[in-house]
Amino acid sequence: MSLWVDKYRPTSLGKLDYHKTQATQLKNLVQCGDFPHLLVYGPSGAGKKTRIMCLLRELYGAGVEKLRIEHHTIVAPSKKKIEINTIASNYHLEVNPSDAGNQDRVVIQELIKTVAQSQQIQTSTQREFKVVLLTEVDRLTKDAQHALRRTMEKYMSTCRLILCSTSTSKVIDPIRSRCLAIRVPLPSTEEVCNVLTSICKKEGLLLPPELAKHITEKSGRNLRKALLMCEACRVQQYPFSADQDVPETDWEVYLRETANAIVSQQSPQRLLEVRARLYELLTHCIPPDIIMKGLVTELLSNCDGQLKTEVAQMAAYYEHRLQLGNKAIYHLEAFTAKFMAIYKKFMEDGLDAMMF
Amino acid sequence: MDEYDELFEIQDDFEDQFADELEAMAQMEDESAKPGKRQKQDPGGNISDIEHPLDAQPTTPKAKRQKQDAGVAKRLFNSLQTQESKAPTERDDITPPSSPEQCETPRNFRTTPAVLDISGFASIPETPRRPPTAAPASLHVLRRPPIEGEYISVTDTSGSRVYLRQTEDTGTKVQDSRLVPDPQGSLGLLTVPISVLRDQEAERRHQQDVQESQRLIDLLSSSVNDVLVQPEEESDDPEDTEGRASRLWVDRFSPRQYTQLLSDDFTNRCLLKWLKLWDTVVFGRERKARTARPDRQAPNENSFKPNQPNQIQNRFKTKIEMTEELLEAELDQYNRPRFKVALLSGPPGLGKTTLAHVIAKHAGYNVVEINASDDRSAEVFQKRIDTATQMKSVLGSNERPNCLIIDEIDGAPAAAINILLATLSRKDGHGAGAETTKKKKKDAILLRPIICICNDLYVPALRPLRQQAFLLVFPQTQPSRLAQRLAEISVQQGMKTDTGTLLCLCEKADNDIRSCINTLQFLHGRGHKRVDTKTIQCVSVGQKDQNKGLFHLWQGIFQLQRTKRKRIGEGFDEAPGSGGGGQRFEHILHLASSSGEFEKVSQGLYENYLSMHVRDPNLHSVCEALEWLSFSDRLNQVIMQGQHFSLMRYLPFLSVAFHFLFAHTHVPRISYPHSQYEASTRLLSSRNALSTMLAEIPACIRTRISQLSLSLDMLTLLLDIICPKLRPVNPQLFSSREKEQMRELISTMLAYNLSYRQDRTPEGQYTYMLEPHVEEVVRFPGLPPRRQLTYQAKQTISREMEQEKMRRAEQLMLQRNPAVHKEAEKKTAGPNPIKNHQQRLENIVKQTTVEIRPEVDFFGRAVDPKPQRPHPTSETGEKCAVLSMGTAVGDSDVWFRFNEGMSNAVRRNVYIRELL
Repeated sequence: MSLWVDKYRPTSLGKLDYHKTQATQLKNLVQCGDFPHLLVYGPSGAGKKTRIMCLLRELYGAGVEKLRIEHHTIVAPSKKKIEINTIASNYHLEVNPSDAGNQDRVVIQELIKTVAQSQQIQTSTQREFKVVLLTEVDRLTKDAQHALRRTMEKYMSTCRLILCSTSTSKVIDPIRSRCLAIRVPLPSTEEVCNVLTSICKKEGLLLPPELAKHITEKSGRNLRKALLMCEACRVQQYPFSADQDVPETDWEVYLRETANAIVSQQSPQRLLEVRARLYELLTHCIPPDIIMKGLVTELLSNCDGQLKTEVAQMAAYYEHRLQLGNKAIYHLEAFTAKFMAIYKKFMEDGLDAMMF
Repeated sequence: MDEYDELFEIQDDFEDQFADELEAMAQMEDESAKPGKRQKQDPGGNISDIEHPLDAQPTTPKAKRQKQDAGVAKRLFNSLQTQESKAPTERDDITPPSSPEQCETPRNFRTTPAVLDISGFASIPETPRRPPTAAPASLHVLRRPPIEGEYISVTDTSGSRVYLRQTEDTGTKVQDSRLVPDPQGSLGLLTVPISVLRDQEAERRHQQDVQESQRLIDLLSSSVNDVLVQPEEESDDPEDTEGRASRLWVDRFSPRQYTQLLSDDFTNRCLLKWLKLWDTVVFGRERKARTARPDRQAPNENSFKPNQPNQIQNRFKTKIEMTEELLEAELDQYNRPRFKVALLSGPPGLGKTTLAHVIAKHAGYNVVEINASDDRSAEVFQKRIDTATQMKSVLGSNERPNCLIIDEIDGAPAAAINILLATLSRKDGHGAGAETTKKKKKDAILLRPIICICNDLYVPALRPLRQQAFLLVFPQTQPSRLAQRLAEISVQQGMKTDTGTLLCLCEKADNDIRSCINTLQFLHGRGHKRVDTKTIQCVSVGQKDQNKGLFHLWQGIFQLQRTKRKRIGEGFDEAPGSGGGGQRFEHILHLASSSGEFEKVSQGLYENYLSMHVRDPNLHSVCEALEWLSFSDRLNQVIMQGQHFSLMRYLPFLSVAFHFLFAHTHVPRISYPHSQYEASTRLLSSRNALSTMLAEIPACIRTRISQLSLSLDMLTLLLDIICPKLRPVNPQLFSSREKEQMRELISTMLAYNLSYRQDRTPEGQYTYMLEPHVEEVVRFPGLPPRRQLTYQAKQTISREMEQEKMRRAEQLMLQRNPAVHKEAEKKTAGPNPIKNHQQRLENIVKQTTVEIRPEVDFFGRAVDPKPQRPHPTSETGEKCAVLSMGTAVGDSDVWFRFNEGMSNAVRRNVYIRELL
């Protein structure tokens, strides 16, 4: 509990640092002791989970923070055993069904039904329902999402679902319509700076506002990242200096270098090198869509304005294929090759225009 | 033979080398001369062959005779079998003799085969022996009366007159209606009609047999004068052709004699020589001393000195010479050759089985075959081996020693092969001298040759056998020889072909004899009387569906075939891979779809296409190729997810696309695709590292992080955070701030389930590794290295962490069951700890006065003063020694108790928190 991220995490809705109106809304929502299914979405590091936990605490009291890890073994119809870990308190159950990979439908069907079907015995002192918290819903397969639909309606009396995802685009419509969607946007730069400063104050450190701003920019307003970066800075050098180096995550640096390699030369040999780098990124557990996104961002910043629309359109095309297919490397490389082709043509045309 | 002339330039050598073979050939000529003679003697000519078994049976022939007859006998039995198989079908038609008036003709007509069948083989020779002239025929008919007499006695209702009359009628009718040009028709006019009918029937059958055997003889002796046979085959009645068509040409035209073998001469000769080595033990014949070349034989007798004149120059022998030498080697103590088993190996369709059979028969053995169709479980196999090698048939024609041929041994279970090995290595307890008399005891030594045949020599189960076997690897059949044989066959079957066509066929079938002949037969059966190159190329039958290997496929895709040199014969100038786009398309498609491993193929294409030498300045073909790859990826996904397996037919088109994009005349350097496998392994290992890390993280933190956030956001920074700058001094000397920092560091590491583990590098140095290995998950190659802690710092951290862990564990334990804690407290602080040792020491302890002074334990910390014990009243000076001892013992927490013989020695309750 000694990382700042963990140490200074707010535990009640009242103590949240930003999006305070939303916090009060949430508080009002659970005021009457009941709430609909929720779909909480927003970019990572915005504080979705924090908000959800605060909500649960508001609902059930401090007992919700007594967590335990449970191991479940579920036997799929194909006799395959699926092992999954859940985090549970007496009042709620947190599952990440995408841990089970392709078999997540079974997890949804079995695990949630078991929880949902069991009635609370003592309804006078307890809430009538338990809460099931599903994380990374956007990584659920379509099958699993469909399995969820009926469960959500059928066991409304005993169970509430809180779905947590980074984006709603991969959540199927029927589920979206059954939930109250709550968007948790990223905090603004000032908010991040304020949080950083206040935490440093609590730690007895003095954070120069320039550095705070710098960290915020580097972290992309991802608060978790910002806090970690801040702490890493503190480990690196204290007292802080305003122009201090802010440590970055390695994969971002690597991805940036890859994008530079693509821009600097366009040839099959370079494509081979890029492939090796893409493999490297993939094997370090970086999801392909994030690689694609990072790559596009870097490439767009590097190429001419005329090309931008075309590149963006292409990126969308290949990203779609990436989602449909199975082997990410093909699609990533296809995008890279296509970009190389376009870029090379553009450069050569430009060169010709200069000559004449 | 010219290749051997090259090998052995000296003519004498040649004779020496080929002694066995020449001998065999000489025998064969003798044999083949005999039937020739008989042909001349016999007016019937063709019938002569059938007499062989009759001659052979009564006389007990010598070994030489036997081998020659074997082939003939088999042929005869074949013909007999076909006859037999025909007979019952005809007999089915026999109507019961209740109404003889109506259906006498057919009945009479069919009695002959019935009689033949009933009376057994003995009656068969009667008919053929009868020359087709008139007088002997009637004589033979006159011998038949018993049949007619019987007839009369049985069918008592109708007289013989009526019957005779009717047959006469039919006989004349048949004669009238007959258009057959052969001499029998005219003969029939002179004899009694019934007998003529019978004769004609019998004659017709035997004509078939005779034709068959004649043709075979012609085939065997490769004589071209099949003028007699040819037209007759053309005019075969439909029933006959049907019967023929049902037999495979492969069997019909398979070699019966040594000289007929198509396989490589050297291989044949080696096997024959090896088999001849057994003569000493099997037939009791001495090995022929090669008197022709005594100067060469002498060093051989001295054995193992490789100073033969032609081998002295090159110290490293060629493989052929090695094999030769193996065959020259001495026999063992039982006069057996050194290798008890010959192991033939080679791809299918080269004639391995045929070779083994022919040679075994040739050398005078009775062939016993075990193949994959038989049960080859261990017990059955053992039994069969023993039966085959130790028994001998005493009845009938094959009272020759057995030669066991184990076909398709590469499919046999390992247990069976072990049994074979055990049989080989059996030792006779009585030593030499007992080899001629067969052992009656159970574990007799192996005295019969065994020939094993396999396709794949390197099957793991065969490994032990390989070392003990005389290995013979079959080379490819020469296409010219094969084509020649095919030409003979097609001429005999009345097909018109030319050499170019047949060579093309050979090439298409990869010189697989069986496949070639089958293709020819197929074409023949389809009514192709004329076969040319085009037909061969169109037909997809002869192609072996052999797995060519992935590299072959990749090479085919990436390499443009050069147009091959023109061969003899027109229209043969295009190899399958070259030529027009359509042809290339078909070729690659065929290759790709026959391989079946689409996944692997596409991986190989993916990994290799960028290194192809294709001019592609605008990267268009690269983009195109990647489009195709992503298409096939989607296709795969759809196939796998939705089980739409009908879509699989579109997968091979990827290869075609790649071929048209990247094929080049250069020989491509293709590497095996590893990267995807490697990537998936590494991905798995990083995932595992992350999940091990996650597994032990306490729930309150675990709920906030996922694998994704760990790998994307946290881990790199976390690793930075746990590398603070620490002064390289003893942690005792840290300032309070540093201590605080250390405490935080350790609690972070514990919270995130990270620890340092001492490890030994291969160089022998000790390092501290972060456990689990999440460093590998976040660190990328080529980036500036992160700051690392020094070895000392890591050591310190590691130690502190261990202590902290212990502290926490104890705290947890005490929290869980405070009763234990209380009790422990009580025990340590209690006034009267009840312990065994104190019972004994009580008398001393009671007398001790406890001096009150602050006690200090080993680590210099103050220990709670023990409550004072009651003072003993008697305090005298003489007990001073006892007293001091009592003080020492009673106040100490440490006890030592001496037990004679053993000791569970020093006891004390120690708590972790006291140590840390």
